[in-house]
Amino acid sequence: MFRLAVKMTLARTGRLVLTSLAVILGTAFLSGTFVFRDTINQTFDRLFADVFRDVDAYVRSTTFLELDFGGEQRAATPVAVLDAVRNVEGVTSATGDIQAFARVIGKDGTPLGSEGNGPPTFGGIASSDSAGLWSITSGRLPVGPNEVILDKATADNGAFVVGDSVRVVAVRGAREFTLVGIASYGDISSPGGATFALFDQPTASEFLLQPGFVDAILVEGDDSVGDDVLAKRIDAALPTELKLETLTGAEITAEVQGQIKDVLNIFSTFLIIFSYIALGIGSFVIYNVFSITAAQRQRENALLRAIGASRRQVSRALLIESTAMGIVGSVIGFGIGILLSQMLNALLKATGFEVPTQGLAISPNSFINTLIAGVVVTISAAWFPARRAGRVPPLAALRDTALDTAGSISRRVVIGLVLVAAGGVGMFAAMNDAPVQVLGLGVLGVFSGILVLGPAIARPVALFIGLPVAKLRGASGVMARQNAARNPKRTSRTAAPVLLGVALVTAFTALAASIRSEIRDTFGNAFSGDIALTVDSQGFGGIPLTITDQIAELDGVAQATGVGFTSVRLIDPNEPASTTQASAAQRGVFVQTINPETIGGLFDLGVTQGDLGSLGADGIFVDAERAESKGWDIGTRLKIIRVDGVEVNAEVRGFVSGDTSFANYVASRDMFADAPSPIFDAFVYIKVAPGAVFDDVRDRVAAISSDAGIGTLQTKDEFIDDQAAQINQVLALIYGLLGLSIIIAIVGIVITLLLSVFERRREIGLLRAVGMTKSQVRTTVRWESVITSLLGAVSGVVLGIVMGIVVVAALSDEGDITFRLPVNETLWIVVISFVLGVVAAVYPAWRATKVNVVEAIAAT
Amino acid sequence: MYGSGDSEVRALDGIDVSFEKGKFTAIMGPSGSGKSTLMHCIAGLDSLTSGSVFIGDTNLSSLNDKQLTELRREKVGFVFQAFNLIPTLNAYENITLPLTLGKKKGDSAWIDRVIDTISLRDRLDHRPSELSGGQQQRVAIARALASQPDIIFADEPTGNLDSKTGSEVLAFMRRAVSDLGQTIVMVTHDAVAASYADRIVFLADGRVAGEMFSPTAQKVLDYLKRLGE
Repeated sequence: MFRLAVKMTLARTGRLVLTSLAVILGTAFLSGTFVFRDTINQTFDRLFADVFRDVDAYVRSTTFLELDFGGEQRAATPVAVLDAVRNVEGVTSATGDIQAFARVIGKDGTPLGSEGNGPPTFGGIASSDSAGLWSITSGRLPVGPNEVILDKATADNGAFVVGDSVRVVAVRGAREFTLVGIASYGDISSPGGATFALFDQPTASEFLLQPGFVDAILVEGDDSVGDDVLAKRIDAALPTELKLETLTGAEITAEVQGQIKDVLNIFSTFLIIFSYIALGIGSFVIYNVFSITAAQRQRENALLRAIGASRRQVSRALLIESTAMGIVGSVIGFGIGILLSQMLNALLKATGFEVPTQGLAISPNSFINTLIAGVVVTISAAWFPARRAGRVPPLAALRDTALDTAGSISRRVVIGLVLVAAGGVGMFAAMNDAPVQVLGLGVLGVFSGILVLGPAIARPVALFIGLPVAKLRGASGVMARQNAARNPKRTSRTAAPVLLGVALVTAFTALAASIRSEIRDTFGNAFSGDIALTVDSQGFGGIPLTITDQIAELDGVAQATGVGFTSVRLIDPNEPASTTQASAAQRGVFVQTINPETIGGLFDLGVTQGDLGSLGADGIFVDAERAESKGWDIGTRLKIIRVDGVEVNAEVRGFVSGDTSFANYVASRDMFADAPSPIFDAFVYIKVAPGAVFDDVRDRVAAISSDAGIGTLQTKDEFIDDQAAQINQVLALIYGLLGLSIIIAIVGIVITLLLSVFERRREIGLLRAVGMTKSQVRTTVRWESVITSLLGAVSGVVLGIVMGIVVVAALSDEGDITFRLPVNETLWIVVISFVLGVVAAVYPAWRATKVNVVEAIAAT
Repeated sequence: MYGSGDSEVRALDGIDVSFEKGKFTAIMGPSGSGKSTLMHCIAGLDSLTSGSVFIGDTNLSSLNDKQLTELRREKVGFVFQAFNLIPTLNAYENITLPLTLGKKKGDSAWIDRVIDTISLRDRLDHRPSELSGGQQQRVAIARALASQPDIIFADEPTGNLDSKTGSEVLAFMRRAVSDLGQTIVMVTHDAVAASYADRIVFLADGRVAGEMFSPTAQKVLDYLKRLGE
């Protein structure tokens, strides 16, 4: 029987591929992300293995902060340690390593490398020691305070040649250097599209970090002993009071490889989640296809039953077919996924994130995972249709028409309503501060409830939506409306993927619109200046404090203040030590750094208690809610450990409300004044003096910022728009990913229409015989498609708005975010669904006109 | 060698009919006379509201779905008016399908003989769509014969065929009874088709209206005429 089932499946290769389309699309994206991730990981693995090839040991501080997204910030190491290391027996050379913020200014005055969104811009040390990570491809090493070399990619992008003058901005401000050489990192011109400016060690320390300090020390041994022995010897020679550690070359290589993987995996996990969503939506299409084909093959299955096939044999034949579909679909999908991974790469390249990829990494794991996901989804989607096919009465072999066996509608309504009600309760609980998991379960409940209810509501809704179509399109319109409503189960299953996609898009759009207008209101109220200089550096580099102070001194500037961010470790001495895990204790928290003397009246941080002027070098303001949950009050002492390991015994001197302060903690920049790793400002807020000409002041500020090659200058309105628009980037990404689900939904409509046309070919033949024109046939199919698509879109929009309201309410504390309905976007969604309905119908409608009238009527 | 005594059936509206083993019986009657329902009931396709059906010593109404499935697979063969074959399997696979479903090898000498009788040996690897209507019906009959069932039910087997291929099919069924010793019950409203049978049972309004042995087409037509008056 197994052999026969396989044969029966293979006999319909055309349908196999058609129905596999949903599997193919879903798995293609999944495998595309897998391959993409593996390729990048492999490239970086090789790159770092190559770059650290000659590094036998690595010395660094043990004091560090773990940051979000897998990064870490480590304390600097004094240069004096270099000599101690060089004197260790077995060490050939030791060289300092610095990776700090530095931005190269192009010949046209604009900085190279995009700000914020792009890859980071680094400064570092160029060294002749083979343990150094860079190799010179032309020119020579920089010597002295006026010479620089650039990575090859940056030099090419900026059209710099050896001998040119290059302007570089770093923590000590902007300086001119002479380009004396070009370097490459391993054998690639630039890692990940980052820009690099490299100096000799003293210059790099002074300009990028703090005179006399480096980030770490790279050591090359003479290979007389193993790396681990060498590391132990170095460790023994290190001054104990400095809290330093020595890693072997292999250890640091693995660590760097791991770090880059952590960052990349956040991104690819995001992609993978959305490809699973797409695959899940695809499973509805698969389910629908199986339901329809099982109905169409009812007579065939009944014949099998009549001549002695058991229920199980009939079901199993369908499951074997679905397994074949899953395998075929996943294998084809995997192939397409490999192409997709290349497209993803090209897309990233186009947006400035050039990720170096060498070859393709196609791991057996990706293939196996794709195959398992594809097959499991297909078989689960086919499970119920297969069970139903087995229950077909043998007598059906003798009947003329194929029937979609209808389950009990009332049972369906009851189950559906119970699910919706349960989901509603969960969502309501989430609106009243239940954990976010409850919200997830609630949404899931409502979704499944609506899907169960689908067939019950599909008929009346389809008839309602079809009303104008019937009015306007004559006989074809009437028939289209009836066709959309004649099989409510099929219609609702076809509309389900559209519904899911549209509901998610609507909910995200509504959420974004609400957050956007909230941000707009908040910033409009908090910012009372006229101009803002911003840098979107995402925690790495920014506006040097010297620039901020320069702006404050400008003629016509009444007031200017900078706000920045830094990471510290924060320890509550009152909390029992056992609750703070060792690893958790390394985690950093964001602190907002301000200048208490200039911020007043310019930017409102939402102080609820206390006076910012009292901050001093050891004061801290805390978010009121956090303080309450931790039981902190004015006067509570907290231990703050800076990146360089210096402990500050800080006192809580006030509270802020969380709206306009970007972090839970606020400190004065004075707290970090003596730190070797300097802090930056991310925003400079400027108020123009009364009587001064706005444009003149603006030009003067612009001159300073462009001189420094840093920051974007915005008016108050632009600044507020820009802050609100940040949510758009996330939204665009989500739109793009959900777009894939929409494509799968269209494919679902196309497949359903094709199968319906096939099923109704006798009917179509009859209509043609009694005088329906081909164009009328097409009209009928087209409008059925549009009605189905709109059915999904309209119910999806309704569901999405409800979800949006609930999510906004759940996210906002004390109702500080109000729900806003994005009217335009919602209308667009409906219009787009209309167009998609028309597009989806093109091929099936054409097929419908190809029905041979005589054969269709004669066919039995 | 096969079968076990007479295949006896009691059925429908107080009627008591039995079909003799090794004979070709036709059931005739006007539309709505209950002839198809009768056949579905005695074949175990449809269930009775009251009364009982026996094939050999087996009471069908006491069987569950699984047992009925096995009965259909091993003791009963079917030939329908149309849609008799699985379109994706070739002729040979269709013929042996009941055996494959039961995971049985079957009697290959017997199957050879059946195939020779339908004289389609050269078309065994063709799909149904590549066979003519008469050939398809012969394959369907061969399939019904393949498991050497106790009884074969044929529901208007020539209904969709022209008279020439129809008579070929009927002659083949006749041979299956005379030469191969099979038992066939055929529902038809065609007097010529019925004349191939050993015996005709006439139904009207769910009751047995009469019987005829060794019929000819003319005798049948005369009888039907009288019945109609």
